[in-house]
Amino acid sequence: MGLLQEAIFGIVTGSYIAIAAIGFTLIYGIVNMINFAYGEYLTLGAFVGFFAASAIPVPLPVAIVVAMVGGGVISIVLARGFFTPINHTGPVPLLLTSIGLGIAIRNAIRLFGGRSARYIETETTTFRVDAVPDVSIGSVDLLGGFFVTSEHLIVFGSAVAVFLAIHALLTRTDVGIAMRAMGDDESLARVRGIDTQLIRDSVWVLAGVLAGLAGVLMAIQTNVSSTTGFSHILQILSAAILGGAGSPYGAIIGAYVIGLALAISTAFLPSSMTGLSSAVAFAILIAVLLVKPSGIAGTEVREA
Amino acid sequence: MSALDRLPSGRGDRALIAGVACLFVGGLFALTPLQASLPSALYVFVEVGITFVIYGMLVLGLDLQYGHTGLVNFGHVVFFAVGAYATAMLAAQDSFSGIALGYPWPLALLVGVIAAALLGLVVSATSIRLRDDFLAIVTLATAEIFHSIFVNFEGVFGGNVGILGVPRPIAALVGDADTRLIATILVIGGITLITLAAVTRLTDAPYGRVLRAIRADELVTRSVGKSTIVYKTQAFVYGAALAGLAGGLFALYNGAVAPGFFTIQVTVTIWIGMLLGGAANHRAVLAGLAIIMGLRLVSRFGLSVTPVSGDVFAAFRLVVVGLILIAVIRFRPAGIWGDPQELGVDQ
Repeated sequence: MGLLQEAIFGIVTGSYIAIAAIGFTLIYGIVNMINFAYGEYLTLGAFVGFFAASAIPVPLPVAIVVAMVGGGVISIVLARGFFTPINHTGPVPLLLTSIGLGIAIRNAIRLFGGRSARYIETETTTFRVDAVPDVSIGSVDLLGGFFVTSEHLIVFGSAVAVFLAIHALLTRTDVGIAMRAMGDDESLARVRGIDTQLIRDSVWVLAGVLAGLAGVLMAIQTNVSSTTGFSHILQILSAAILGGAGSPYGAIIGAYVIGLALAISTAFLPSSMTGLSSAVAFAILIAVLLVKPSGIAGTEVREA
Repeated sequence: MSALDRLPSGRGDRALIAGVACLFVGGLFALTPLQASLPSALYVFVEVGITFVIYGMLVLGLDLQYGHTGLVNFGHVVFFAVGAYATAMLAAQDSFSGIALGYPWPLALLVGVIAAALLGLVVSATSIRLRDDFLAIVTLATAEIFHSIFVNFEGVFGGNVGILGVPRPIAALVGDADTRLIATILVIGGITLITLAAVTRLTDAPYGRVLRAIRADELVTRSVGKSTIVYKTQAFVYGAALAGLAGGLFALYNGAVAPGFFTIQVTVTIWIGMLLGGAANHRAVLAGLAIIMGLRLVSRFGLSVTPVSGDVFAAFRLVVVGLILIAVIRFRPAGIWGDPQELGVDQ
C-alpha cells in the first residue's frame, strides 16, 4: 500500500480524533480537569448510535443525531453526579475521579454488552484511483494508487462541519464568548456577571455531543466494543496537549499530526512491529511536553 | 549509653525486627528439611498474599513519591516492569523467546533495581518540573510506550509470550509445594517489612519533613533554601528503585515475565490502595492495598458459588473498584487512616 493511502487513513483517523479532542480540550480549559473517562463517553455514544441504527432501526444520519443527543445527556448527568460536587478540590482529585469513573463505566459496559465487537451496517461506495504512478524508496511506496470510501468522506465531512460550527459558536454566540472568557480567567468572568456554573454545564453538554459524534463515527469506521473509546483516549489526550491544552484550534492541528504520524509510522515500521505506532503518538506527546509544554497554542504547564 | 538505649523503639524498628524474623523463618523452610503443610483451602490466600507483599513494595515507593512528596506518578508499573524484565533477561536460561543470558540471579536482581532507578532518573530529569496533572500524563504515556515496546520487539523481549525460564531460587531449594509457598511468602514478605522499616526511617528523619514540606508548599520550601528539584528527583528515583526490586523479585518468584503482568491495572490497583488507606502513612497504604486485594479473594470465592462466568465477575469487581476510588476521593479524601489536616484536604 502506498504512502498516499496511509495518509488518507491518517486524515480519517485524525478527523474523529479531532472531534473528540475538541471536546476534551474544552473540558480541560474551562472545567480545568483532565477527563480520563472521556474515552468512555465515546464508547457510550457509539453504543447509543449502534442501538438506534440496528434495534429501532433508524437511518444512519438520524442515528448519528441520536448518538450526539445521547452523548450530551450522558455527559451532563455524569458531570452533575461525579465532577461538579468536587469541582473546588483541584486538578488531581478530578483526574483520579475520572480514572475511577472510566474503569467503572468501561467494565459496566463489558458486564452488560460482553466483549464482542458489534458492527453498524452501512452501504459503502469505494472510489478508486489507480492512475497514480508508484515512487518507491526501499520497501515504502511514496505515491501509489489509493481509494476513498464513502465512510471516509462522511467522517471527514462531519469533522469539517464540526470545526466550522465550533468556530461559529466560540466567536459569534454569547455562550461561546463566555466559554472563552472563563477559559481565560474564571474569577474575572464571574465578576463580569457570567454564570460560571451554567457555562460549565454547557461545556459538559457540548463535550458530550462531540464525544457522541466521534464515537459513532469510530463505530462506523471500525466497530463498537467496550474498549472503543478507551483505546483512543491517549491519542485524544496527545492531540489536545500537542495543540496546547485548552485550545480547540490547537487540538484540531494536534489531532491531524497524531493521525498522520500513526498512519505513516505504520507504513515505515516492519509489519511485525506495527503495534509500535501507538508508542509513536506518546513519544510525540512526551517530546512536546519537554520541548514546548504549552503546545502549539496554549498556556504554561510547568511550575518551576 | 546503656545497652537499653540501643533497643529498638520506633515503629520502623519493629517492622525491621519482624522483617528479619520473617526472612529467618522463611530461610529455615528453604534451607533445612523443615516442612510445612497447608490446607488446600488456604492456597488461594497465600497466592494472593504473595502478590500483596510484592505490590506492597510498589505502594510504599508510590507513597514516597505521591504521599510524601506530592509527585503524581501514574505510570508506576513501568518501573516494576523494567525491573522484572531486566532481571528476567539477565537470569533466564533457555527461554523460548527473547533474550536469555543466564547470569546468576543475584546479579540480575541488582541490575533490575539499577535499571528501574535509571529509568526513574531519566523520567524525573525530563518531567519533574511539569505541573501535577501533566506529570501524571507523561508517566502514564511512558508506561504505555514501554508496554508496546515489550510487546513489539519480539526478538528482545519475547513479545506477548514474554521471557520464560527465569530461575526460581526458592523453588530450586524446596521441592514440596506447600513448603515452597510458605517460604516464598515469608521471604518476600520479610523483604517488604524491611522496606517498610527503611522508608519509615527515611520519612521520620528531617529528610522526610522536607519532602512533606514540598508537597504542602513548594515555593515556601524553596524559599528556605532547599533545592526542591533535587529532593523531588531523589524521592522519584527511590520509588522507582523500590518498584524495580519488586519487579525483580516478581520475576524470580514467577519464573516468567510477560506484558500481561504489567498493565495499567497494576498502577490503578496500587493507587486505589494508597488513596483508600491514606497517603503519607506507610502502614495505612499497606492496609488500603490489603482491602483492595481482598476484593480479589471475594470475587474468587463468589465465582465458585455463583453460576456466572469469570469474565462477568472480573468486570463486576472492576466496577466496584472504580466506584471505591470515586467514593474515597469524594467522601474521605484523606483515606481511612490518613490525616486530613496534614494532607491539606477538607472533609
